Amino acid sequence: MAPAAPARVVLTTGFSQRYTGGVKEFSIEAANLRGILKAMDARFPGLGEILEEETSIAIDGEIHELLYSQVIRPGCEVFFIPRIEGG
Amino acid sequence: MLTRTNNADKELKVVGTRPVRPDGEAKVTGQARYGADYSAPGMLWAKILRSPHAHARIRAIDASAALALPGVKAVLTGADFKEQPFEYVGPERVAVNYWHMTRNVMAREKVLYEGHAVAAVAAISPATAEAALQLIKVDYEVLPHVIDVDAAMRPDAPLLFDDMITRGIEPAPAKPSNISKRVEFRLGDVEAGFAAADAVVEMSFKTAPVHQGYIEPHSCLARIGADGQGELWSASQGHFVVRAYTAKLLGMEIGDLLVHPAEIGGGFGGKTVVYVEPVAAALSKKTGHPVKIMMSREDVFKATGPTSGASMTVKIGVTRDGKIVAGQGLFKFQAGAFPGSPVMNACMCAFAPYDIANVNTIGYDVVSNRPKSAAYRAPGSPISAFAVESVLDILATRIGMDPLQLRLKNAARAGTPTAYGPRHAHDGYAETIQALQLHPAYKAPLGKNQGRGVASGFWFNGGGESAANVHVNEDGGVVIATGSMDIGGSRASMAMMAAETLGVPYDKVRSIVADTGSVGYNHVTGGSRVTFATGMAVVDACNKVIDDLRGRAALIWDVDVAGVVWEDGHAQPASAAVGDFKPLSLAAIAAKRGVTGGPIVAEAAVNAGGMAPGFATQFCDVEVDPETGAVKILRFVAAQDVGRAIHPSYVEGQIQGGVVQGIGWALNEEYIYNQAGRLSNAGFLDYRIPVASDLPNIDVVMVEVPNPNHPFGVKGAGEVNIVPVMAAIANAIQQATGRRLTELPMSPPKVLAAIDAGA
Repeated sequence: MAPAAPARVVLTTGFSQRYTGGVKEFSIEAANLRGILKAMDARFPGLGEILEEETSIAIDGEIHELLYSQVIRPGCEVFFIPRIEGG
Repeated sequence: MLTRTNNADKELKVVGTRPVRPDGEAKVTGQARYGADYSAPGMLWAKILRSPHAHARIRAIDASAALALPGVKAVLTGADFKEQPFEYVGPERVAVNYWHMTRNVMAREKVLYEGHAVAAVAAISPATAEAALQLIKVDYEVLPHVIDVDAAMRPDAPLLFDDMITRGIEPAPAKPSNISKRVEFRLGDVEAGFAAADAVVEMSFKTAPVHQGYIEPHSCLARIGADGQGELWSASQGHFVVRAYTAKLLGMEIGDLLVHPAEIGGGFGGKTVVYVEPVAAALSKKTGHPVKIMMSREDVFKATGPTSGASMTVKIGVTRDGKIVAGQGLFKFQAGAFPGSPVMNACMCAFAPYDIANVNTIGYDVVSNRPKSAAYRAPGSPISAFAVESVLDILATRIGMDPLQLRLKNAARAGTPTAYGPRHAHDGYAETIQALQLHPAYKAPLGKNQGRGVASGFWFNGGGESAANVHVNEDGGVVIATGSMDIGGSRASMAMMAAETLGVPYDKVRSIVADTGSVGYNHVTGGSRVTFATGMAVVDACNKVIDDLRGRAALIWDVDVAGVVWEDGHAQPASAAVGDFKPLSLAAIAAKRGVTGGPIVAEAAVNAGGMAPGFATQFCDVEVDPETGAVKILRFVAAQDVGRAIHPSYVEGQIQGGVVQGIGWALNEEYIYNQAGRLSNAGFLDYRIPVASDLPNIDVVMVEVPNPNHPFGVKGAGEVNIVPVMAAIANAIQQATGRRLTELPMSPPKVLAAIDAGA
């Protein structure tokens, strides 16, 4: 069986400048969001916690709050964006 | 009213109808209990001493004379609150810094705006507390102040904080300034985009800070016992957040504070923060008595959050056939005395309605000597939309294209990239434009001195954490308890979604807002999130109840649970093979609750995702009096994609309310400061919000493009309606007068000056 296509993980320009030396895109194989966060934290220690606290995610454009159990489909785009609050 | 729905699937019996609102009777008969309506035995009254200066150092506070006044029980200053660490906690846009929060609740080293709380008195009567305030001596060293955002950004501006280094700039600036933060979003190559444009317009704009204008001033009653356990009654947009902030500032365990939700008289974002609750709680702790605080209207204007004012420059390029090829925006937002304006939202929302390959937005969060800004209906988005939608109007005229057609040609759809990162996942914008193109009034003739303006807007809409309980009563009635404050009809919409899910009549469901001890955590009622997120929790809880009811019916019939289905509010055999059983109603199963397992209850909690954004498009007709500059709104048509309206009357009300607030923002509302930095119009007589006689009927066009991620297709409906309003009016004034207004409010003197300048 062919390996599952990794997810394309993307950070905003601001996050990448602050936390990943300007690198915006990552290729990560994970079944759920916990796996994505663990992989990001392994590459940039402490980043997992920051992403948990500061971001929402858009999975192929659909915006979600961060949930460890969020299913990550093979090949999907996972975009970490600043969390928004309204009035 | 007109509804265009794209949702023709499941036929619904309750959702989409207009039952009587559950909160109406108590409100119209004066029996609803707001924050100010609570009292307790032995209660003291508290008053707050506020700074007369825009900026001053507090050298000393002498409260001895106040404390000596008979009837005075305690005086509180900033020193009575524990110090908080200086750190930003939580998401960047709304990061909380408790070092700032405790100083906004009660000043310490300096006062940073007129009205800043300096001390508080608890006494046996309001008059005694008021008299005691006059006896408190504060030794101030008055400092230079700055009000305007552009002035606050100048290198020689008076500094509110001597150590504020701008965040978001690498390398960090060496010198402090009033600029708290810089944010930037980029997509594509804007310079290449502008080079490909046939027409480019760049223009600068200013907007005034405006107050949320809720009718009910902040009020609360607090009781902290000697055992450290406390209760708080207050009107807010989120009693769980009130609990968290108050406990944090007082150094309490969250569980030691029980917060009861009072009925709320408007919030619009401004009641997502605390002002009086920690003060009342601290005074109660100090005196051992319950303590009540009621703000005056003057207090509300001088000390609670307006939204930001802004100074901004927007540049947009289009081709001659109407394709937008580049958009650029520089947004400078007043945060007020402490950091935290919604400038990031402004940057993210500014061009979000459009499919533009090249976008760059830069924002600055700037402190100045005015009250700390608070959220206000789609915070940030209406401000940047005023600039973007005004420039688009100029470009439409320049290339000779109808303004709705220009927007439709460039409308974002599912799959369109955004400047803030991901692609849009939902349609809905184009449908609002098309609805207005078909509206009969769009082509109606205009008279002398009249003009028509068009504008659009975007707002994210929220999801997030909510919890709900469902109880089936002994007689089969249902109680829904959530922790989401009802500021826009959520008790009705929760009851309707529960009734629809359970298959019972609406009037069999009672919906309440429970206190912090009776239901799980619910985030604030804000961000247009409650009908979506809390609604999902309610539906989940109802589905759990249905599973329970099926199980109990199976017990009663002595069959396997797989043989029981729930249809039309009854347990029914899944097929004839299961047996010949008469359907069991909720009431019939509730009557057997004891023998089938006890009370029928369920709870559910969600961290809801899959929210869909809100899009709005509006047009308005105005008539401008060339002698006075007064602008009369003749017609206002507001289209909005609401996903699905659970209770259409409430949704229409939300849209009409947002438009009315936008009209006030556009034409009249502003804070007028004198040379000393003191507010000159801290009351509704001089700070003029629109009243009914100022307004035409707001014609609502609800567009329903359902959100597939919600059981009933809901998208948030409470905020995006305010986003286009100011630009739509500015564009109409331009058509009526030939003059482009670039500064809010477009009050008669400004309109007249613009007319005269062009004469």
